[in-house]
Amino acid sequence: MPSHLRVAGTEKSHTSFLVRFSLRQRLEHFSIMLLFTMLALTGLPQEFFEARWAQWLIPALGGIDRVRWVHRLCGILFTIGAVEHLGAVVFLVVTKRINLSMVPSKKDFRDAILTLRYYFGATEEEAQFDRFDYRQKFEYWGLIFGSVVMIVTGFILYFPALTARILPGDLIPAAKVAHASEGLLAFLIVIIWHVYNAHLNPDVFPFDTSIFTGRVSEERMLKEHPLELERLRPQRRQPHSAEAVANVPQKGTGSGPP
Amino acid sequence: MATRYLGLLGGLLIAALTCAGSEARAVTLAPEVQACLECHREPSMELMLPSGESRSLYVDEEHFANSIHGDKLSCTDCHSDIEGYPHPERTFKNLREFTLGYYENCKGCHFDNYTKSLDSVHYAFLSKGDLKAPLCVDCHGAHDVTKPGVPKSQISKTCARCHAGVYQQYAQSVHGQALLHEKNGDVPVCTDCHRSHNIEDPRTVAFRLKSPEICARCHGDEKLMQKYNLSTGVLQSYLKDFHGMTASFYSKEKASPSALTAVCTDCHGVHDILSAKDPKSSVMQANLEKVCQKCHPGSTGSFPAAWLRHYEPTPEKAPLVYYVKLIYQIFIPFVVVGLMLQILLHIWRVVVSR
Repeated sequence: MPSHLRVAGTEKSHTSFLVRFSLRQRLEHFSIMLLFTMLALTGLPQEFFEARWAQWLIPALGGIDRVRWVHRLCGILFTIGAVEHLGAVVFLVVTKRINLSMVPSKKDFRDAILTLRYYFGATEEEAQFDRFDYRQKFEYWGLIFGSVVMIVTGFILYFPALTARILPGDLIPAAKVAHASEGLLAFLIVIIWHVYNAHLNPDVFPFDTSIFTGRVSEERMLKEHPLELERLRPQRRQPHSAEAVANVPQKGTGSGPP
Repeated sequence: MATRYLGLLGGLLIAALTCAGSEARAVTLAPEVQACLECHREPSMELMLPSGESRSLYVDEEHFANSIHGDKLSCTDCHSDIEGYPHPERTFKNLREFTLGYYENCKGCHFDNYTKSLDSVHYAFLSKGDLKAPLCVDCHGAHDVTKPGVPKSQISKTCARCHAGVYQQYAQSVHGQALLHEKNGDVPVCTDCHRSHNIEDPRTVAFRLKSPEICARCHGDEKLMQKYNLSTGVLQSYLKDFHGMTASFYSKEKASPSALTAVCTDCHGVHDILSAKDPKSSVMQANLEKVCQKCHPGSTGSFPAAWLRHYEPTPEKAPLVYYVKLIYQIFIPFVVVGLMLQILLHIWRVVVSR
């Protein structure tokens, strides 16, 4: 019985917690957080090298050679992480331990429109989400596609001579533009969107700890993922019932992609 | 001062005593110069040195008169050790030592250039004991000093006296051809890139990394380049690309870089540089592969196409790069503005709901 699927309850308050993220997912998030920071820190000054802050930052980090070395090392580790994630997801889906809760559905588009209408005050009905809402799916798939672009173009730039042996040479400057632009886009999305959703959003301010602890309060689940909670309810009648959840992963509660 | 006057007095005395009836010449030299010439205009006058070499002590009156110093200096201004006749005894082992003995004589007036020359690669060799390293007079001449750079080609020809191989390459280059055949004064001669007195060792990493700056002095000059229908964008496009960016960071680093990065001369050549339109040019598309391979040994096939040849990516010159750039220029603001709107709407709704 994987311990991370156990329902945790705090004794002081009567809040009960659900385990939302597995240890693997938490580790994945932690490593991607570190690697993304390192890649942005060593990548952005290379793109904006003419700016004064970059002219200061690159020597401060030990010079252009070291910055590139760290960037490439982190890129390789990032690629290993991406391969690990892909492998884990394929394995878990094939062995039916998770369902495809991250795959966008028609409901996501309806939810997005409903949420927009709600924001504009056109309706008082709020969208009800399952395990992942459309914003989380957008960010996840954005990360997946972004990573593919970054990894492919990154390796083209890492091995330009090898690339040119099999592919047209102008792919290399194009990869440079794509790598820089996609990196900037990813950085902006993380700074604007992810930082808002995980920190500044009034609902979670100052810090949504769930991806680090793996736990989410039932109260929040009810607010943010009521449909998922609903699906879990039958099994939650008894104490320690979440253990039962783990036995019925096809219901889509297990470790889907983060 | 006293010495000089004494010298002058001595000179005059000798002149008065020995050659009362000297013939008048078209060029008027100071009387004290005339006095010295009384002896030194004798072509056969020479000094035998212990090395067996002989040093001519003859001074061509006309050369001196026509030199830049002819109407400004008298003999003892430079030969300040000589106060009269007989001259003080001086011992030189050989011819070079004789010249070296007068090495410091120029600095009395030309102190700035003398000081600069102490930073030169020539002086570095001299101070290490290489007596062949050039001294002031080796380039400028002694009694026949004329204004340097008149004509401009004279500068390169002066350097060629020692650097004959380099000169031959230069003479074939686009710069050398224009200088020697078209008398074009815009093109660089040796000293424009290497400087004249404080000539740096061009084999250092620091000089390499500085070289784009040297080229840019002319190739970044809008007015000058327009004259030859050349683009001044070459420096910017170089600096914005991988090589140029690397070079500019390397040049600011204290430690020597671990690797070399291409500068202008690595692709275009140094002294043998040709017009990029010349079929023999190393940067001609057909020759580019070989140039790339100098640093990228495994590069074959389409690799040279990775270099946009100083062009900005346009739909014609580099469509793939241009469109990738364009797509992101639209996509990034679209996503960012969209996300920010969503955030603002969310905040607004939270506020309204409360």
